[in-house]
Amino acid sequence: MKISGSLRSGFMWTLNAKNSILIVWFCIFILVLVFVFPLRRSLTTAFGASMITGKLADGINIEAFTDLGPAFKSIMSFFTAGLMFTFLAGFLLNSFLTAGLFGNVRKDSVKCSSSEFFGMCAGNFGAFLLISLLITLIIGIAFLFIIVVPAAIVSLSETVSDKSQFVTMVIAGSVFLLLLPVMLLVADYSRAFKAANEDASAFSAIGKGFSFAFSNFRESYMMMLLLILAQVILGVIVMLLLPGWRPVTGGGVFLLLIVSQLLFILRLFLKTWRYASVTSMMNEIEAGNTRTIDKMEL
Amino acid sequence: MKIRLVLIIILSNVFLSLYPQIVNLKPLSERITGYKLDVRLNPDKKTVTGDMQAFWVNRSADTVPDIRLHLYMNAFRSNRTTMYREMGGSPGNDEKDLGWIEINSFSDKNGADLIPRMQYISPDDGNRDDRTVLRVLLPQPAMPGDTVIINVNFETKLPSRIRRTGYSGDFYFVAQWFPKFGVYEPAGMRYASKGGWNCHQFHATSEFYSNHSVYDVRITLPASHVVGSGGMLISEKADGNMKTVTYRAEDIVDFAWTAWPGYAVFNDKWKNVNITLLMPKDRVKQAGRQLSSVKHALEYLDMNVGPYPWPHLTFVDPPNIGAGAGGMEYTTLFTSSSSYFVPPFFHMPEMVTVHEFGHAYFMGMLASNEFEEPWLDEGVNSYWEEKIMDTYYGNNSGLIDHRFLKFSDVSSARVSYVTSPSRQLVSNNEYSWNYPHGTYGMMSYQKTAIWLHTLEGIIGTETMNNVFREYYRRWAFKHPSGRDFINVVNDVVRKEHGQEFGPDMNWFFDQTLYGTGICDYKVSGIVNSKYSKPEGKTDTADAEVRAWSSTDSLYISKAQLERVGEVKLPVDVLIHFDNGDEVLERWDGKERYKDFEYKGYKQIVWVKIDPEYKIKMDVDYVNNSMTTEPSKAPLHRIANKIMTFTQFFLSIMLL
Repeated sequence: MKISGSLRSGFMWTLNAKNSILIVWFCIFILVLVFVFPLRRSLTTAFGASMITGKLADGINIEAFTDLGPAFKSIMSFFTAGLMFTFLAGFLLNSFLTAGLFGNVRKDSVKCSSSEFFGMCAGNFGAFLLISLLITLIIGIAFLFIIVVPAAIVSLSETVSDKSQFVTMVIAGSVFLLLLPVMLLVADYSRAFKAANEDASAFSAIGKGFSFAFSNFRESYMMMLLLILAQVILGVIVMLLLPGWRPVTGGGVFLLLIVSQLLFILRLFLKTWRYASVTSMMNEIEAGNTRTIDKMEL
Repeated sequence: MKIRLVLIIILSNVFLSLYPQIVNLKPLSERITGYKLDVRLNPDKKTVTGDMQAFWVNRSADTVPDIRLHLYMNAFRSNRTTMYREMGGSPGNDEKDLGWIEINSFSDKNGADLIPRMQYISPDDGNRDDRTVLRVLLPQPAMPGDTVIINVNFETKLPSRIRRTGYSGDFYFVAQWFPKFGVYEPAGMRYASKGGWNCHQFHATSEFYSNHSVYDVRITLPASHVVGSGGMLISEKADGNMKTVTYRAEDIVDFAWTAWPGYAVFNDKWKNVNITLLMPKDRVKQAGRQLSSVKHALEYLDMNVGPYPWPHLTFVDPPNIGAGAGGMEYTTLFTSSSSYFVPPFFHMPEMVTVHEFGHAYFMGMLASNEFEEPWLDEGVNSYWEEKIMDTYYGNNSGLIDHRFLKFSDVSSARVSYVTSPSRQLVSNNEYSWNYPHGTYGMMSYQKTAIWLHTLEGIIGTETMNNVFREYYRRWAFKHPSGRDFINVVNDVVRKEHGQEFGPDMNWFFDQTLYGTGICDYKVSGIVNSKYSKPEGKTDTADAEVRAWSSTDSLYISKAQLERVGEVKLPVDVLIHFDNGDEVLERWDGKERYKDFEYKGYKQIVWVKIDPEYKIKMDVDYVNNSMTTEPSKAPLHRIANKIMTFTQFFLSIMLL
């Protein structure tokens, strides 16, 4: 009951927050464009009037790129530096925008203007940044101990067979994947709590996040798995559709851009649905707690 | 001289009769050397000990005062050996880490003790800490036709860090393990101006050079171990916890063997060749891939080079603990490399198998000197490996065949050459240990393969195949040099193409094998200018031009080409006009620049040098073409996809 109810109300709240989702898409689009547009210029300049681009009609052609010589090295260094910059800037931007989204999906019929949305973003930015940093750090440490350390041990061992190595890595990967929804739950509950309680500190919000995640663990975990499953299905669709789609005309490339951006907006919608569903679940847990206290008082 | 020759033949035949044919119907080689080994593997001490009786026949007209033997295992004796000095690092400090070979007794056929006549020498670098070459002064010099027989009792300690050879736990790969004759080269053989032993030290980046030999090998080892070798199994007898296996190998250049209890054995057959594959039991899913790839290689080389003459072939996919033994060749035994899970689109295991099998031809049968001319085995073999992979696994997908990314084997080699900052450092014709700055691999493997593909592009695939068929016919089971290979190329090209490429192909090898230049042709411009009407006082008498000039659509179009690199090769130039016409021009590629000019009612739209990408040596395909109507769509598509995937990446990675 709790799961379906939370998913349903979360879905409705997400629909109400469509303007906020479009603002998030636009901000991320601009951020990535800052990285990709110069890259596109570099590519077109490097290839010039060459017809080797015909070799790219069937996809990435390593030879065509390596033949660019020094230009290829420049493009690659720009690519890696740009990707790192985008990731770091994206981390800040995501913390900022997520604060607005959580504020927007807190309850029914919250239709906010862009100024209200950015107001909510700014109000909780610091706390959301801290929560994101700490949870990302915890995930990183978990990755280190669950995947990297076992991988290093089995690869250095002289007695572990190929199959055992493979099985060890599959088990380690599975454990990590099973742990990941828990960390997402903690992160989402923390942020939902912070959005609902402006006076709460980031650390107390994280504490509450753990508390909410484990106080109603079974429902919360199952709901998160369902939400992740929806995102995985979209991911599979994207992987089936986009890499193999190789338009050769300007019109085709524009259509590809439109479709890929629509898919990304859908991805943002699903992510917001996750935030909204967790917020709804939190509200139910809080309401349940209140009812219990009321009963005890009566 | 004739009497000597007759004597040599008689004595040789007498001696050969002592070694009856078992594997093949008749000898494939001269069998200048032969070995009988009776050894025992001690699993506690990690040693192989035993007796060896070996012979060397002096087939030269020289009186030879000594013999020289490789004691390769001494390369693992300390960190001061030539191999470790060149490679850096150390075999280790513990006794278990080290490898060595000790001669306990050494006598001639008369029983004379030769130990006092032994001397360790270092002909390549004078390193006194290197004991990988042994010189033994004979009591009596070997006269032409003499057979020198030696009886040696030796102990070989296997190193713990496997570098081609050694042990790890109860896994053994035993190679370069017994005293082995060098090659006596009389004057006129390969590059020898006078007779002498060709017996180099064990270097970090070199392989081997040996006579084709007969091997009779008895090995006693724990009964639990599964054994594989380059020989044919003659018998296997169990005795309690131990067993003795006997192998016979004929006309191969080296004998190696492996033993491990964890091997699963797979048998298959291609024509009359019995194929045995040894691999870890948990890799059985990879067996089909490995066996089909070796059969592809057998089929392709049999068809395009020459027959595989032995009725047996064994190959090994070593376990992880013995990965250092992977990717090595001992003619009828070779090692591949894979793991428990290799995605089906990634053809690396197949590539290693095809490559290592190919060495059965290029240095196994065509037994070139790998020390001195590594390009002649590694480069030539890489060329064939790339052809096989791209034939059987897809022209664009020989190495990677995923729907998102395809990569051919020849492209992989070309990328390695093109992107190497040291591609002009030295010529391709160096002793293996003389390649500076880590260029051995790129130069001897990739650069050679790339200029061989280029040669194929110039003379044609069928002529190239005929070159190798003739090379095989003339030189199989002999010791060809690079010069011999070039002579074959010259003869076949002259026979099939006359003087089309000049009196010989030396101009090609001077630039590619012996030169350090790069090849780079470029389209530097397309000019379409309207033909101007004659004005003023002109003597133009060309009526046709006067007629043309009365219209506005007469153009003089030029395709402007440049030779950027030093290497001069003939290239095709394809020119496309706006009315759909195409002209294929031939440029000898010698001048620094070249213009192709056309007058008419059409303009050049695009120009391609080497439109079929036959000249693989060209280090920059981007500048090989130019168009007046460049298509940016593929680049914009790539940029769009980068943007989308960056967006998804951020969305997934950030909470």
